[in-house]
Amino acid sequence: MIRPGRRVRIVEVRNLADEELMELVQDGEVRAFDVIFDRHASVAFSLAYRMCGRPAMAEDIVQEAFVSLWRSSAAYDPARGSVRAWVLGVVRNRAIDAFRREAARATSDLDQHGVVDRMPALELTDREVERRDDARQVRDALQELPADQRQVIELAFFGGFSHSQIAEMLKLPAGTVKGRMRLGLSKLRFALGDGPRVAL
Amino acid sequence: MADGCGRSADAAAYALGALEPGEAEEFRAHMQTCPACREDVAGFQGVTLELPDASVQYAVPKGLRKRVLKEVRATPHDGAPARARRPVLIPRRALGAFAGAVAVAVAVIVGIAIGSSGGGGGTRVIQAQVIGAPGSARLQITSGRGELVLRGLPAPGAGRIYEVWFERGRGRPSPTNTLFSVSSVGAGDVGLAGSLNGISEVLVTSEPAGGSRVPTSPALIVARLT
Repeated sequence: MIRPGRRVRIVEVRNLADEELMELVQDGEVRAFDVIFDRHASVAFSLAYRMCGRPAMAEDIVQEAFVSLWRSSAAYDPARGSVRAWVLGVVRNRAIDAFRREAARATSDLDQHGVVDRMPALELTDREVERRDDARQVRDALQELPADQRQVIELAFFGGFSHSQIAEMLKLPAGTVKGRMRLGLSKLRFALGDGPRVAL
Repeated sequence: MADGCGRSADAAAYALGALEPGEAEEFRAHMQTCPACREDVAGFQGVTLELPDASVQYAVPKGLRKRVLKEVRATPHDGAPARARRPVLIPRRALGAFAGAVAVAVAVIVGIAIGSSGGGGGTRVIQAQVIGAPGSARLQITSGRGELVLRGLPAPGAGRIYEVWFERGRGRPSPTNTLFSVSSVGAGDVGLAGSLNGISEVLVTSEPAGGSRVPTSPALIVARLT
C-alpha cells in the first residue's frame, strides 16, 4: 500500500497494481495515468467500437472517457469496484450517450474502413497472456448460451437498450426478457467459475 | 446465490444496465435492505465486467494515445489550477530505512512529477555530457525547475546510488536531495529538487547508498546551463 503524501519512491511504475496507480493519479501523477491508459485503452476502444460501430466515434468516446477519468480521479473508490470496471463503465455510458445522440448506428465492418488493425501478435506480459485466455473463455461461454439468452444480454450490454425496449423490439413480455437475462448471466457465472450450475 | 426475494431477474437487468432509470433507482433502494439481491447483483456484475472481452479486441488506433495523453497533460486535475511540477525527493533522513533496499532494488524511476505540466513558458532542453559510460542524458528546464531524462545508463552498482549536485559559477558542487537509480534498461526521468536559477552546472555522480555531502567520484553526467 502506498502511503498518502509519500515523497519517496524508487519503483517501476509499470509494475504497480491498478489501485496503487490510481493513488498516484489522484495525486496528479501523469505517468501513472499513462500506465492506466496503456492497460485499458485497447479493451475500452474495442468496447466502444462494438457499441457504436464507427471507428472515429469510438476514438472520441475513448478520449472523452479517459480525460474525464483524469479530471475526476478523486471520485474513484476501490471499495466500489476495480479500475477496469470504472474505466469500462465510463466508456459504456459515453458510448450509449453518443449513439443515442446520433440516433443511428453504422453496422459496417471495421476492416472495410481499414482504419485500425486487429490486435497484432505483440510480445505479451504475463498479465496480458492471462487477459487473452480470459477473453477467449468469455467469448466461448457467451457463444454457448442459448441464442435467446445471448441476444437479450448483447442487446442490453452492447446495445444499451433497456429491458422494456428489448421487449418491444422482440415482441416479448418484459418479464420474459428479464428472465432470459437472469438465466443467461447465471450460466455465464457458472461457465466462468463463479456460480452454481443453473437448471435449464 | 442466497435465498432470494424473487427479484433475481431485476438483479440481472440491473447488472446489465437494462432497468429504466426510475426502476434502477427503486431497485437500488431495495438492495439496501435485501442481502440476497446485493449478492445477486455482485455476482452478475462480475460477469458483466468480463463481457467487453467478448468483443473482438483491437489495438488502440495510431495517434489516439498521443491525443489522449496530450489532452490529459493540458487538463487541470480534479478542477484545480495546473500546478507547477515539483520533483519527488528522497529525503536524506528517510534514506537509512531503505538504503539496503536500494542495493537490491530491481526498480527505478524516481522523480515522477507531481501535478500537471500545464505551467506557462516554454521548456529549455540542454544536452548533457555522459562521461565514461554509455547512454545519454538531457536536462529539461521549465519555469526554473529541471528534469533529467536518462536513457541507456548503467545501474550505479550494488550499494550505490546516483546523486545530483548543483554548481554555481566556480563554487564547489552542492548536494541536492535528489538521489536515483535507473531502470533495467537504463532509463530514468528525474525531477530535480530546488530551483535552477543561478545554477551553472548540474552534475551526477555515483555515491554510496544514502548519498554523500561531497562528491566521492568523478562526474558521470554534466549539464552546462551557462
